[in-house]
Amino acid sequence: MIAVAIDEDLEAIRGHSEGITYPVLMDPEHNLTELYAISNVPTVVWIDENGRIARPNASEFGTDMFVEYTGRPREGHFNQLRAWVRDDLVPADADTEIEDLSQDEIDARLHFKLAATARHSGDDAGATRHFAKAIELAPFDFTISRAAMPLQGEDPFGEKFMALMQQWVDEGAPFHGIVPPRS
Amino acid sequence: MIKVIADQVVETDGTIDSTRAIIATDALMDILGWELKDEGLCRDELCVPAERATLETDGKLDLAAVARTLGRPSILDPETNAIAIGAPATDRSAALKDRVAPNFSLTDIDGVSRSLADYAGKKRLLVAFSSW
Repeated sequence: MIAVAIDEDLEAIRGHSEGITYPVLMDPEHNLTELYAISNVPTVVWIDENGRIARPNASEFGTDMFVEYTGRPREGHFNQLRAWVRDDLVPADADTEIEDLSQDEIDARLHFKLAATARHSGDDAGATRHFAKAIELAPFDFTISRAAMPLQGEDPFGEKFMALMQQWVDEGAPFHGIVPPRS
Repeated sequence: MIKVIADQVVETDGTIDSTRAIIATDALMDILGWELKDEGLCRDELCVPAERATLETDGKLDLAAVARTLGRPSILDPETNAIAIGAPATDRSAALKDRVAPNFSLTDIDGVSRSLADYAGKKRLLVAFSSW
Protein backbone atom coordinates (compact mmCIF):
# COMPACT_ATOMS: atom_id res chain seq x y z
CA MET A 1 0.00 0.00 0.00
CA ILE A 2 1.28 3.44 -0.99
CA ALA A 3 -0.66 6.48 0.19
CA VAL A 4 -0.20 9.78 -1.63
CA ALA A 5 -1.47 12.98 -0.01
CA ILE A 6 -2.72 15.44 -2.66
CA ASP A 7 -1.92 18.09 -0.16
CA GLU A 8 0.76 20.48 1.07
CA ASP A 9 -0.20 20.42 4.76
CA LEU A 10 2.53 18.13 6.13
CA GLU A 11 1.42 18.49 9.76
CA ALA A 12 -2.18 17.54 8.98
CA ILE A 13 -1.03 14.51 6.98
CA ARG A 14 1.35 13.47 9.77
CA GLY A 15 -1.66 13.64 12.10
CA HIS A 16 -3.56 11.25 9.80
CA SER A 17 -0.55 8.92 9.55
CA GLU A 18 0.24 8.05 13.16
CA GLY A 19 0.92 4.36 13.63
CA ILE A 20 0.81 3.72 9.88
CA THR A 21 3.60 1.45 8.59
CA TYR A 22 3.16 1.86 4.81
CA PRO A 23 4.73 4.79 2.96
CA VAL A 24 2.81 8.08 3.01
CA LEU A 25 4.01 10.43 0.26
CA MET A 26 3.38 14.15 -0.12
CA ASP A 27 2.26 15.54 -3.50
CA PRO A 28 1.88 19.30 -2.95
CA GLU A 29 2.22 19.98 -6.71
CA HIS A 30 -0.56 17.49 -7.56
CA ASN A 31 1.69 15.61 -9.99
CA LEU A 32 -0.22 12.36 -9.42
CA THR A 33 -3.59 13.86 -10.35
CA GLU A 34 -2.19 14.78 -13.75
CA LEU A 35 -0.42 11.46 -14.41
CA TYR A 36 -3.40 9.29 -13.43
CA ALA A 37 -6.30 11.67 -14.26
CA ILE A 38 -7.43 11.81 -10.64
CA SER A 39 -10.24 14.27 -9.93
CA ASN A 40 -11.19 13.59 -6.31
CA VAL A 41 -10.08 11.78 -3.19
CA PRO A 42 -10.11 9.09 -2.14
CA THR A 43 -9.14 7.47 -5.44
CA VAL A 44 -7.51 4.05 -5.41
CA VAL A 45 -5.57 2.32 -8.22
CA TRP A 46 -4.59 -1.35 -8.22
CA ILE A 47 -1.14 -1.92 -9.75
CA ASP A 48 0.12 -5.47 -10.29
CA GLU A 49 3.58 -7.04 -9.97
CA ASN A 50 4.44 -6.09 -13.57
CA GLY A 51 3.51 -2.43 -13.21
CA ARG A 52 0.22 -2.85 -15.04
CA ILE A 53 -2.95 -1.23 -13.79
CA ALA A 54 -5.12 -4.15 -12.70
CA ARG A 55 -8.08 -1.94 -11.75
CA PRO A 56 -8.04 1.77 -12.63
CA ASN A 57 -9.12 4.83 -10.62
CA ALA A 58 -11.98 3.98 -8.29
CA SER A 59 -13.77 5.74 -5.48
CA GLU A 60 -13.14 3.48 -2.48
CA PHE A 61 -13.03 4.48 1.18
CA GLY A 62 -10.66 3.05 3.80
CA THR A 63 -13.11 3.67 6.63
CA ASP A 64 -16.88 3.63 7.02
CA MET A 65 -16.96 7.26 8.16
CA PHE A 66 -18.88 8.30 5.03
CA VAL A 67 -20.86 5.09 4.52
CA GLU A 68 -24.24 6.81 4.87
CA TYR A 69 -23.30 9.04 1.96
CA THR A 70 -21.54 6.44 -0.22
CA GLY A 71 -23.86 3.53 0.56
CA ARG A 72 -20.85 1.21 0.29
CA PRO A 73 -19.23 -0.26 3.43
CA ARG A 74 -15.46 -0.57 3.03
CA GLU A 75 -15.64 -4.34 3.46
CA GLY A 76 -16.78 -4.82 -0.16
CA HIS A 77 -13.60 -3.27 -1.49
CA PHE A 78 -11.49 -5.09 1.10
CA ASN A 79 -12.96 -8.43 -0.03
CA GLN A 80 -12.21 -7.60 -3.67
CA LEU A 81 -8.66 -6.69 -2.70
CA ARG A 82 -8.19 -9.97 -0.83
CA ALA A 83 -9.38 -11.95 -3.88
CA TRP A 84 -6.95 -10.03 -6.07
CA VAL A 85 -3.98 -10.45 -3.73
CA ARG A 86 -4.63 -14.16 -3.10
CA ASP A 87 -5.99 -15.39 -6.41
CA ASP A 88 -5.41 -12.61 -8.98
CA LEU A 89 -9.17 -12.18 -9.33
CA VAL A 90 -10.35 -8.73 -10.42
CA PRO A 91 -13.92 -7.40 -10.35
CA ALA A 92 -15.86 -7.00 -13.61
CA ASP A 93 -15.49 -3.20 -13.47
CA ALA A 94 -11.68 -3.51 -13.74
CA ASP A 95 -12.00 -3.23 -17.57
CA THR A 96 -13.46 0.28 -17.30
CA GLU A 97 -11.54 2.82 -19.35
CA ILE A 98 -11.09 6.06 -17.45
CA GLU A 99 -11.80 9.20 -19.44
CA ASP A 100 -8.71 11.30 -20.17
CA LEU A 101 -8.37 14.81 -18.78
CA SER A 102 -9.75 17.56 -21.01
CA GLN A 103 -7.49 20.42 -22.09
CA ASP A 104 -9.29 22.61 -19.54
CA GLU A 105 -8.56 20.08 -16.79
CA ILE A 106 -4.88 19.95 -17.82
CA ASP A 107 -4.66 23.75 -17.89
CA ALA A 108 -6.42 23.95 -14.51
CA ARG A 109 -3.66 21.81 -13.02
CA LEU A 110 -1.01 24.15 -14.45
CA HIS A 111 -2.82 27.21 -13.05
CA PHE A 112 -3.06 25.44 -9.69
CA LYS A 113 0.73 24.95 -9.71
CA LEU A 114 1.25 28.63 -10.61
CA ALA A 115 -1.12 29.63 -7.79
CA ALA A 116 0.55 27.44 -5.17
CA THR A 117 4.00 28.71 -6.18
CA ALA A 118 2.87 32.36 -6.12
CA ARG A 119 1.34 31.78 -2.69
CA HIS A 120 4.60 30.36 -1.36
CA SER A 121 6.50 33.40 -2.54
CA GLY A 122 4.03 35.71 -0.75
CA ASP A 123 2.33 36.90 -3.95
CA ASP A 124 -1.29 36.70 -2.77
CA ALA A 125 -2.69 38.55 -5.78
CA GLY A 126 -0.95 36.15 -8.18
CA ALA A 127 -2.16 33.18 -6.17
CA THR A 128 -5.77 34.43 -6.12
CA ARG A 129 -5.73 35.06 -9.87
CA HIS A 130 -4.41 31.58 -10.72
CA PHE A 131 -6.64 29.75 -8.22
CA ALA A 132 -9.65 31.55 -9.74
CA LYS A 133 -8.59 30.57 -13.27
CA ALA A 134 -7.99 26.94 -12.24
CA ILE A 135 -11.44 26.71 -10.61
CA GLU A 136 -13.08 28.39 -13.62
CA LEU A 137 -11.51 25.74 -15.91
CA ALA A 138 -12.31 22.70 -13.73
CA PRO A 139 -15.01 23.62 -11.19
CA PHE A 140 -16.01 20.00 -10.49
CA ASP A 141 -12.50 18.66 -10.07
CA PHE A 142 -12.20 18.52 -6.30
CA THR A 143 -8.39 18.30 -6.48
CA ILE A 144 -8.66 21.84 -7.86
CA SER A 145 -11.74 23.53 -6.42
CA ARG A 146 -11.79 21.94 -2.96
CA ALA A 147 -8.01 21.64 -2.55
CA ALA A 148 -7.77 25.40 -3.17
CA MET A 149 -10.07 26.18 -0.24
CA PRO A 150 -7.62 25.77 2.68
CA LEU A 151 -4.92 27.49 0.61
CA GLN A 152 -7.21 30.53 0.35
CA GLY A 153 -8.22 30.59 4.01
CA GLU A 154 -11.54 28.82 3.39
CA ASP A 155 -13.00 25.84 5.23
CA PRO A 156 -12.97 22.74 2.96
CA PHE A 157 -15.80 21.29 5.09
CA GLY A 158 -17.83 24.52 5.25
CA GLU A 159 -20.80 26.03 3.44
CA LYS A 160 -18.84 26.73 0.26
CA PHE A 161 -17.96 23.05 0.03
CA MET A 162 -21.58 22.02 0.65
CA ALA A 163 -22.69 24.32 -2.18
CA LEU A 164 -20.00 22.88 -4.45
CA MET A 165 -21.17 19.33 -3.63
CA GLN A 166 -24.74 20.22 -4.58
CA GLN A 167 -23.64 21.77 -7.89
CA TRP A 168 -21.47 18.73 -8.59
CA VAL A 169 -24.39 16.36 -7.93
CA ASP A 170 -26.61 18.52 -10.17
CA GLU A 171 -23.99 18.14 -12.91
CA GLY A 172 -24.27 14.35 -12.69
CA ALA A 173 -21.37 13.89 -10.24
CA PRO A 174 -18.54 13.81 -12.82
CA PHE A 175 -15.57 11.71 -11.66
CA HIS A 176 -12.53 10.30 -13.45
CA GLY A 177 -12.95 6.78 -12.21
CA ILE A 178 -15.20 3.91 -11.23
CA VAL A 179 -17.96 4.59 -8.72
CA PRO A 180 -19.24 1.15 -7.65
CA PRO A 181 -22.99 0.89 -7.08
CA ARG A 182 -24.44 1.22 -3.59
CA SER A 183 -24.49 -2.17 -1.91
CA MET B 1 15.07 35.32 -12.42
CA ILE B 2 12.13 33.22 -13.52
CA LYS B 3 10.43 30.30 -11.82
CA VAL B 4 10.06 27.04 -13.70
CA ILE B 5 7.44 24.78 -12.13
CA ALA B 6 7.98 21.36 -13.63
CA ASP B 7 9.14 18.21 -11.87
CA GLN B 8 10.33 20.53 -9.11
CA VAL B 9 10.19 24.32 -8.73
CA VAL B 10 13.48 25.77 -10.02
CA GLU B 11 14.61 29.40 -10.24
CA THR B 12 16.85 30.29 -13.15
CA ASP B 13 18.07 33.34 -15.07
CA GLY B 14 15.69 34.17 -17.88
CA THR B 15 12.77 36.19 -19.20
CA ILE B 16 9.13 35.37 -19.81
CA ASP B 17 6.61 36.96 -22.14
CA SER B 18 3.23 35.74 -23.32
CA THR B 19 4.66 33.24 -25.81
CA ARG B 20 8.17 32.34 -24.75
CA ALA B 21 10.27 31.52 -21.68
CA ILE B 22 13.91 32.24 -22.52
CA ILE B 23 16.62 30.53 -20.47
CA ALA B 24 20.30 29.69 -20.95
CA THR B 25 20.60 26.49 -22.99
CA ASP B 26 22.93 24.89 -20.46
CA ALA B 27 20.35 25.30 -17.67
CA LEU B 28 17.97 22.84 -19.37
CA MET B 29 19.54 19.72 -17.89
CA ASP B 30 19.05 20.91 -14.31
CA ILE B 31 15.48 22.01 -15.00
CA LEU B 32 14.02 19.19 -17.07
CA GLY B 33 16.76 16.54 -17.27
CA TRP B 34 17.08 16.93 -21.04
CA GLU B 35 19.99 18.24 -23.12
CA LEU B 36 19.90 20.07 -26.45
CA LYS B 37 22.09 18.38 -29.06
CA ASP B 38 22.32 18.66 -32.83
CA GLU B 39 19.95 15.69 -33.24
CA GLY B 40 17.34 17.16 -30.88
CA LEU B 41 16.45 16.95 -27.20
CA CYS B 42 18.24 14.05 -25.55
CA ARG B 43 18.10 12.20 -22.26
CA ASP B 44 20.49 9.29 -21.84
CA GLU B 45 20.20 7.27 -25.07
CA LEU B 46 16.82 8.72 -26.04
CA CYS B 47 16.55 11.70 -28.41
CA VAL B 48 13.42 13.54 -29.53
CA PRO B 49 14.22 14.93 -32.99
CA ALA B 50 14.03 18.72 -33.22
CA GLU B 51 15.57 21.43 -35.37
CA ARG B 52 18.00 23.16 -33.04
CA ALA B 53 17.15 26.54 -34.61
CA THR B 54 13.46 26.20 -33.71
CA LEU B 55 14.36 25.95 -30.01
CA GLU B 56 17.54 27.99 -29.62
CA THR B 57 18.79 31.46 -30.59
CA ASP B 58 22.24 32.79 -29.56
CA GLY B 59 22.76 30.22 -26.83
CA LYS B 60 19.32 30.93 -25.36
CA LEU B 61 16.50 28.44 -25.34
CA ASP B 62 12.72 28.83 -25.46
CA LEU B 63 11.44 26.55 -22.72
CA ALA B 64 7.85 26.76 -24.01
CA ALA B 65 9.03 25.36 -27.36
CA VAL B 66 11.00 22.65 -25.55
CA ALA B 67 7.85 21.66 -23.63
CA ARG B 68 5.86 21.46 -26.88
CA THR B 69 8.57 19.31 -28.47
CA LEU B 70 8.44 16.92 -25.51
CA GLY B 71 4.63 16.74 -25.66
CA ARG B 72 4.28 18.50 -22.32
CA PRO B 73 1.62 21.19 -21.75
CA SER B 74 2.74 24.55 -20.38
CA ILE B 75 1.33 27.89 -19.28
CA LEU B 76 3.35 31.09 -19.18
CA ASP B 77 2.68 33.86 -16.70
CA PRO B 78 4.66 37.06 -17.42
CA GLU B 79 3.07 38.72 -14.35
CA THR B 80 4.60 36.32 -11.84
CA ASN B 81 7.56 35.48 -14.11
CA ALA B 82 6.72 31.82 -13.99
CA ILE B 83 6.12 28.93 -16.37
CA ALA B 84 4.31 25.77 -15.31
CA ILE B 85 5.09 22.63 -17.32
CA GLY B 86 2.90 19.55 -16.98
CA ALA B 87 3.50 15.86 -17.54
CA PRO B 88 3.71 14.38 -21.05
CA ALA B 89 0.19 13.55 -22.24
CA THR B 90 1.55 10.21 -23.48
CA ASP B 91 2.41 9.18 -19.90
CA ARG B 92 -1.22 9.61 -18.88
CA SER B 93 -2.62 7.92 -22.01
CA ALA B 94 -0.29 4.97 -21.28
CA ALA B 95 -2.03 4.72 -17.94
CA LEU B 96 -5.57 5.14 -19.21
CA LYS B 97 -5.44 3.16 -22.48
CA ASP B 98 -2.51 0.73 -22.20
CA ARG B 99 -2.77 0.21 -18.44
CA VAL B 100 0.90 0.94 -17.85
CA ALA B 101 1.23 2.58 -14.42
CA PRO B 102 3.34 5.73 -14.85
CA ASN B 103 6.22 5.91 -12.41
CA PHE B 104 6.48 8.90 -10.07
CA SER B 105 8.83 10.04 -7.32
CA LEU B 106 7.66 11.97 -4.28
CA THR B 107 8.96 12.68 -0.79
CA ASP B 108 7.42 10.82 2.12
CA ILE B 109 6.35 12.48 5.38
CA ASP B 110 9.82 11.84 6.81
CA GLY B 111 11.53 13.55 3.88
CA VAL B 112 12.67 10.35 2.12
CA SER B 113 12.31 10.27 -1.67
CA ARG B 114 10.27 7.27 -2.84
CA SER B 115 9.14 6.02 -6.24
CA LEU B 116 6.37 3.71 -7.35
CA ALA B 117 9.14 1.64 -8.96
CA ASP B 118 10.76 1.04 -5.54
CA TYR B 119 7.97 -1.48 -4.96
CA ALA B 120 8.20 -3.21 -8.37
CA GLY B 121 7.49 -6.94 -8.32
CA LYS B 122 4.75 -6.52 -5.71
CA LYS B 123 1.06 -5.83 -5.95
CA ARG B 124 0.52 -2.19 -5.02
CA LEU B 125 -2.58 -0.38 -3.81
CA LEU B 126 -2.12 3.28 -4.65
CA VAL B 127 -4.36 5.51 -2.54
CA ALA B 128 -4.74 9.23 -3.25
CA PHE B 129 -6.09 11.03 -0.18
CA SER B 130 -5.94 14.46 1.45
CA SER B 131 -6.69 16.49 4.57
CA TRP B 132 -9.17 18.73 2.71
